[in-house]
This record gives sequence, C-alpha cells and structure tokens, in this order.
Amino acid sequence: MTTWDLFTSCWRPDPLALFGCAAAIVLYWRKSAIPLYWRKSAIPLYWRRASAIPLDILAGRARPGSRVRGAPFVAGLLVLALALLSPVGTLAEGYLFSAHMLQHLMLVLLVPPLLLLGLEPLDPRARAEGEGYTARAEGEGYTARAEGEGYTARRLPTLVSWGLGVGAMWLWHAPTLCNAASQSALMHRVQEASLLAMGAAFWWPILAPRVGQRLPPLGGIVYLFSACVACTLLGIAITFSPVEVCSVFAHPVDRLGVMPLLRDGWGLTTERDQQIGGLLMWVPACVVYGVAILAVLARVFQEATPASKQSPSEVS
Amino acid sequence: MTTALPSQGRLEHPSHVESAKGLNAWVTTVDHKRIGILYLVTALFFFGVGGLEALAVRLQLARPNNSLVSAETFNQLFTMHGTTMIFLVVMPTLVGFGNYFVPLMIGARDMAFPRLNAMSYWLFPWGAFLLHFSILAGGAPSAGWFGYAPLSETPFSSTLGTDYWALALLVLGVGSVATALNFIATILTLRAPGMTLGRVPLFVWMTLVTSVLVILAIPVLNAALVLLLVDRQLETHVFLASGGGSALLWQHFFWTFGHPEVYILALPAFGMISEIIPVFSRKPIFGYGFVAASTVAIAILSFGVWAHHMFAAGLGHAADAFFAAGSMLIAVPTGVKIFNWIATMWGGSIRFTTAMLFATAFLIEFVIGGLSGVTFAAAPIDWQMTDTYYVVAHFHYVLFGGTAFAVMAATYYWFPKMSGRLLSERLGRAHFWLMVVGFNLTFFVQHFLGILGMPRRVFTYPDLPYWAVLNLLSTLGAVIMGIASLVFVVNLAMSLRRGKVAGDNPWEAWTLEWATTSPPPHDNFAEVPQIRGRRPLWDLAHSADAVERHIARPLMTPEETVSEGTLDKGAIAVWAFIASEACFFLILIITYVFFNFATAPAGPTASSALDVGKTGAFTVCLLASSGTLWLSERSLERMDHRASARWLFATLALGAVFLVGQGNEYLGLYSHGITFATNLFATTFFTLTGFHGLHVAVGLTALTIVFGLGLAGDFRRRRSTLLRTVGLYWHFVDVVWVVVFSIVYLKARG
Repeated sequence: MTTWDLFTSCWRPDPLALFGCAAAIVLYWRKSAIPLYWRKSAIPLYWRRASAIPLDILAGRARPGSRVRGAPFVAGLLVLALALLSPVGTLAEGYLFSAHMLQHLMLVLLVPPLLLLGLEPLDPRARAEGEGYTARAEGEGYTARAEGEGYTARRLPTLVSWGLGVGAMWLWHAPTLCNAASQSALMHRVQEASLLAMGAAFWWPILAPRVGQRLPPLGGIVYLFSACVACTLLGIAITFSPVEVCSVFAHPVDRLGVMPLLRDGWGLTTERDQQIGGLLMWVPACVVYGVAILAVLARVFQEATPASKQSPSEVS
Repeated sequence: MTTALPSQGRLEHPSHVESAKGLNAWVTTVDHKRIGILYLVTALFFFGVGGLEALAVRLQLARPNNSLVSAETFNQLFTMHGTTMIFLVVMPTLVGFGNYFVPLMIGARDMAFPRLNAMSYWLFPWGAFLLHFSILAGGAPSAGWFGYAPLSETPFSSTLGTDYWALALLVLGVGSVATALNFIATILTLRAPGMTLGRVPLFVWMTLVTSVLVILAIPVLNAALVLLLVDRQLETHVFLASGGGSALLWQHFFWTFGHPEVYILALPAFGMISEIIPVFSRKPIFGYGFVAASTVAIAILSFGVWAHHMFAAGLGHAADAFFAAGSMLIAVPTGVKIFNWIATMWGGSIRFTTAMLFATAFLIEFVIGGLSGVTFAAAPIDWQMTDTYYVVAHFHYVLFGGTAFAVMAATYYWFPKMSGRLLSERLGRAHFWLMVVGFNLTFFVQHFLGILGMPRRVFTYPDLPYWAVLNLLSTLGAVIMGIASLVFVVNLAMSLRRGKVAGDNPWEAWTLEWATTSPPPHDNFAEVPQIRGRRPLWDLAHSADAVERHIARPLMTPEETVSEGTLDKGAIAVWAFIASEACFFLILIITYVFFNFATAPAGPTASSALDVGKTGAFTVCLLASSGTLWLSERSLERMDHRASARWLFATLALGAVFLVGQGNEYLGLYSHGITFATNLFATTFFTLTGFHGLHVAVGLTALTIVFGLGLAGDFRRRRSTLLRTVGLYWHFVDVVWVVVFSIVYLKARG
C-alpha cells in the first residue's frame, strides 16, 4: 500500500459519527422551532436546570435578529469528521500512537472551541444580555438575572472545568485505560465522547456563548496558560519516557495491510512513534493554547479603546 | 508644545519619611527611585568589570598561539565575563530602570512592596560578592556561564569556584523572583484610575510579561543549581553518568531556564525602544495591540523551544524537527515588533537625539542578531555552527547590539528625568559612533570566524588562514568599544554636575513619568492626571473640554486605584510566589521520577526503604492542618478571634508533628546507612522531601508570626488579609506533599 492509497481508501464508515454531525447541523439551523412550553413550569425544575445549558444556547439564538457564525461551527464539524472518519481515525485505531494523539488533540482542542465559537451570537443585544449577568465570587460561575428567564444557566466552577480539560489528557494516557480504549470498540466510543464533553467543559469558561459566563480576560489567560503547562508536562513525559505508554501500538493487528508502509515507508518505529505523539501534545497543543490566549488578549485591547470613547490620540 | 500642569511644584519631603541623611539614606532607602538608581550604578560598575574581563579575553586572542594568560585563567575570564554581564549587568539594569519607571508610568506612589524591593536590591551586591569571592578562595568558576555537567562536577572542576558560582546565582535568583513578584503586584493593582491594561505604556507591559517569565524560569535554574551543589558537596551523582546520573538532564534543566532567560534579557529592552521611538518620531506607536500581544506569544513559546540549544546533544530527529519548527515560529512575534517599530518611524518627523540614534541602531543590530539566530533554528546548520564563534557573534548581536544599545538609548532618554539634567549630546554622539564602529567591528567578523570553524572558549588557536587577521580586527573593535564606554561614563559624570537643566518634559513625551518634576518628588506625583488613553499628556494638552484639562484627582493612594478583579496585592504576590515554587518543585519531582520510575536504581528503593504507613499517618496530620487553617480563616472572617487563634494553634501543632515525623523518618534511614550519596533513589528522595520539609518549616515560622500578631490583637483593630495570604502558601505546601506522597510513597506500594 502506498501513502496515496492510505489517504484515499482507508476512511472509516462510522454511522454514529455521521449521524451526530448531521443532527448537529439540523439542530443548529432550526432557529425558531423551540417549543415555547419548554420555558413554562410544566417541566420539573431539576429537568429544566439539567437541560438549561443546551436550551440556553438554542433559546439565546431563538430571539429575533440573533444570528450566529456559521463558519466556525461547520469548521468544527469538519474537524470532527476528519478526526473520526478520515485515515487519521483509522490509524488511531491501534496502528499509530501519534495518529491516536492527533485524534485526541483534535477532539479536545479543536472541535469544542470551534463549535462554541459557532454558537456565539452576533447580535450585540444578545451578547449584552449575556453581560447583564451578575458576577459572583470566583469559581461559582455566573447567574442569570435577566427578566423573563424561566431557568438559570450556571456553569461549572472554573477549577472543575480546568480539571476536566487537563484530566482528559492525563486520564486517557494511563496505560491501562489507553490500551483498553484501543482494544475495545465500546471503550473507544466512550473515549471519543468523553474527550468531546471534557473539551467542551474546558473551553466553556473561555468561549461560552453567553459572554457573562466567560472568565475575565486576565483570569482566562492564567487558565489557558496553566492548562498549556500541564499539557506540556504530559507531552514531555510521553516524549522522553522509555516506558511504552500504550503498549497496544507496539504490536498492531494489521487488518488493512498498512504496517509495511508505516514502518518502512514512513520510518516510524515504535519509539519514534511515541516520541512524535508526545511532541504533538507538546508543541502544536501549546500553539493552540497560545492562539487562544492571543484571542483573549485581543478582546482586552478592543475593550480598552471602545469606539465611542476613543480619544483623538488613538490613531493606531 | 509643552503640557502645563497647574500646581506642579517640588514637594518638600515630609519630615517623618526617609529622614536618614547621606550614605545612610541610600543604604536604608525603600524608595523605588533610589533603589532603581542603586541597581543602575552597581550594574554600571560590573559593566566595567565584565568589560575588562572581555578585553583580557580579546587581548589573549589577538594573535595565534598567544600566551598572555594561561588556559585556566582564560576559562575563568570568559566564565566570569558571561556570568557577570548576564546576571550582574543586564538583569539588574533592566530591573533598575523598571524599578524607577514602572511606578511612575502607572501613576503609583511606589512599588507594591517597598521593603521587599530593598531586600531584592541588596541580594544583588551579596550575590556579586559571593561570585567574586571565589577568586580569593581558590579560583573563579571556569566551566562557562552555563556550567555544563560533567565539566562543572567535582572531578573536572575541583576548586570551589563552581560552588560559589552556584551559590551566587541562587542568591541573585531569589532577588530576581522577589522583584518579579513586586512588579506583578504593582502593575496589576496600583495603576492610576483610567489606566486599564490596554492603556499601560509598553515598557510596563513588557515588564509585566518579563516578570511572569522570571517567576517561572528562575526557579528551574535554582533547582538545577541545588542539585549541582548536592552533587559537588555531598558526593552524589545526579549529573554524573559514572554513578548512574545523567549529564543531559543538566542541559535540559538549564536550557528550560536559559531560553526564557534570553527573553527576560530582551523584552524590557523592547519596552524601552517602544517608548523611545514614538517620542522621537512624534507619532504614537504603530500597532500597540500587536506589540503587546506578540510579547505574550513570545513568552508562551519561549518555554517550548529550549532544546534548540541541544540539537547537537542527540535527542533524535523527531524532537529536533519539532524544536526547529518551534524556534522558527518564535521569530515571528519578534518580527512583528520590528515591523511595528519601523512603521512607527515611517512618516514621522524624526529627531535624531542620541537616544534615537541608539534606538535606530538597535533595530538594525537586533535584526542581524535575530537573523543569525533563526539560521540556527535549522538543525543541520546548528550542527555545523554550534560551539563556534558564529554563536558568539549571534548572541552578542542580540544581547549587546540589542539589549545594551536599548539600555544606552534609555539612559539618554531617561537620565534627564532621574537627575534633572540632560546628557551632553556632543559626547553622546561620540559615544554612539565609537560604539557602533567598535561593536560591529568586534562581532561582525566573528560570524566569519565561526563559519571558518574557529571554536569558542579556546584560549588560543593555530595560525590558520584568516583566523589571525579576523581575530586581530575583533580585538581592535573591542578596544574601541572600551573607549566608547569610557566616553559614556565621562558623559554621565560630567552631566550629573554640569549638564543642561532638563525641566519636566524635555522630550515632549506623553507618558506619566513626564508629568512630574525631574527628578520626581518622594511621592512621585503631586497630582495624577486623569487617564483617558495611552498618551495621557497628549490627551491632556489636546482635550477639547477646557474643564477636563483641569486635573481631577488628588494624590492617590493604592486603595483608590484600579484593581484586577477581587484580588489584593498580597494575594497576587502569594499566588505568583506559589507559581514560582511550583516550578522549583516540578524540577525536583521530575528528577525523582526520572531516576526512579522506569528502572529502579540498585540499592535501597522506595519500596524497600520507606515505611509508607507511618508516613501516611503524618500525612494525615499535615492535611488536617490545612483543614484547621481553613477553619481558622473562617473564624477570623466571622470576627471570632478566640476560635481563630485556637484553630491556628492546632495548625501549628499538626505541622510540627509532621516535621517531627519527617525528622524521625530521616533518622531511621540514616541509622540504616541510607544517606544522600547512597544511591540515586536516596539523593532524589532526600532532596525532594527535604526541600518540602524546609517549606513546611518556613510556613510554620510564618504562621507562628501571624499567630503572635493575632495574640497581640492586631486582627481586632482592623480587617487583615494576612492570615488568608499566608494560608494560601500553607495550602500550597500541602498540595505539594500530596503530589510527593503519591509519587514517592504510594507508587512504592503499588
């Protein structure tokens, strides 16, 4: 098999992933079809609270005039498809540790922020309503105080979100869990779903659609930087560890006949494969965190000179 | 156009403040301006020392097969030159300017912690003394400024020079971290009303980012130095392959510090240039946001590219490739800044004062240095050029042509503010041209020497083609640089007495330090103007509303200033301190994991030597002490002072029990013949748990002081965040123990 063959013929037909992407697109574009009775008291309080988060998003956009950014959302779904359906996903299933790492990073660091960006309302009124939230003490999230809301939309404490995001990476590299996920199809699904969920939890304080739920800029920078450090440490450990993190990848079952290409054609020995996996978690992951930090900073500087209050000296 | 601030005059010193006179005033000062000047003057002295060391090096290398100094002396000379210039000249100079001008630029009265500031300064002469005392104690250090193991280990460096080097750097490092904490707390909590972080002068922003780099990078060096000292004094083998250690580990640790360090040396210089170029181009800085954001990008990336100093160390192609890519990437934010500075000058009405001359030269020299650096990012080029004079040329271009030129520009720019007198422009121009000619002559030819294969750190060389003439030219350039420096010092001395009087704002600049007298009064400002943009004085002079031109705020106190979120300066400082300590412990933990996880060392190991149960019991005590401390804090918030004191006493008792338990454990191990040097398990175990125990002891001392203050009724009189602040440190120490216990004891079990 050649590299070209690999990239053209080794796509995974994954019905669950395809269905998920399709459903997401449909839900995204159904703007005004939220049944109003969801907001009324017919539903028990705890159920309302549990469903508050997704409904909050959709309801926020159900207001007239609030449009969202389609491009990031679609991009996020494309990355999701790439991660799960493309040869990256195929190779991640027991062939290449580095491909598995690439898939992880896409699921935790690329898909959730893109999807969340896609849910951010463009309407300044909808975003301002997000800012009408009152800030509570650090770690307790923000509570909705706007009139007419039938439910509150809290977010998880910051530390928990951070822990979930960082924990997602550390947890799945414990050798037993890593091997289990690569050997059992069910565990693999669990892994994929958990990575998406934990990634979404992690990115929520940075990119929550309701601006009021986001961390203040400086806190956001500390949040992202510390996560970057934690990720880097794991990357370093994996790169330089003489022990195999995921022994399954040392002896893959070659259903596709692709191993000669990987071992001889691409020169990927087991050690080099693990090294690359660790390095992927290290440098490219930090670039993603770095870009996020820069985006937060850009917001700081935009807010520093609001257009109406700009003094004549600001020509830059 | 000058800005006229009404009611601006010299404030008399209030008699109860700073009443010492003469030398005593300088020794006991806690005023950031005086401390800044102390830093600058001391650094200037060591600039002379380091410069003489460099001249000696260059004179020895002027001719092939020269014998001006012996090989051993030569090694000491270049080691001392490098260490002096980096730690005793550049870092203190940047800190000195920061100390003087950051509070002024943000409209504050002083730094957040003036006494800590003074302590940080005095650690500088002490560290310098330790470093130079080695000359009398058997010989200066001679293993290079980065002291690679195993050369820096006892078998190859038998004199005490390396030990003094390590001790000096430890002392200096503590001072640097303390200063960085101070800057972070100051910049985040003491800004004048209206000055958001998006409006601070870029020098302030750069200082903030540099301070973050310092608190994360210096502790890494400190941990490595501690391990080196343990190796040298206690005969262990952390970095000695002969005893199972790893010399490569030293390189990793050192460069994890070393690469952020070079950005620590560069970023404040970028800040100075960002202040000077706009003023002398009569234009605001182009792309303020880009300059600020690219600084943050540099800071983040700087921790991920250290292995580009180790391309020749055999890490493997995969690692090399990633670090090469990262290193090329990190050149981009710096390039963004260069373009912004050029764009600022473009179309401006440029006035070439000496400061502007040096700033312009900075742009050119730094680009040259940066380009030669980027050529190193390609690993194969690095394999050819590493350890040759090409490297020497590169880092002198960025550090001297870059940072030092920026410092000289800043001196000409800010000397009038600090002394009230302008430096002589005639002497300044002489200084500038001599320096440009001398510097480029010295170091440009070294690029060729490196390409021709001349290695660095050789005390002499054979008469190979072109080597002699290029070296001679380089030495000639060095002599010219020496003359230029003399001109500079003469300028400083003369202008201090007889320079033209400067006035408040001789350059018609726009940032807050120019809104007060030259030199500023003790409390910096009689009144701080309202901040509505990035150029407060420009706004003041051009505001349409005549009423707004009147200054609104009286002398402000820290309480009235813009604060970040709900944190006070104490909390910010202790969190920054916790971050620095976390980095320190991280290195010790990594060392432990490195030597004990994959393959257990021969001899005693965690599973064979440690009593997990007993230590587990003491661990419970320590964790309980965190709980009792939390209860104490809660009681204090409820103003229940008795309960608070009781819980605090319980915390002290539990902490003491833990320490006694640890001492007991150590005694048990000693009685079984397990000491530091037994094997690598013992070394890493004692180092890691020992430093943790030290932190517990420090925490107990601090809490005892707080307890005493509480008994004396301090907390009844006013609300205090002291307990919460010290408590944060204690909780951190406990978190570290949880990690250490899991890695050392629990892992031993299973």
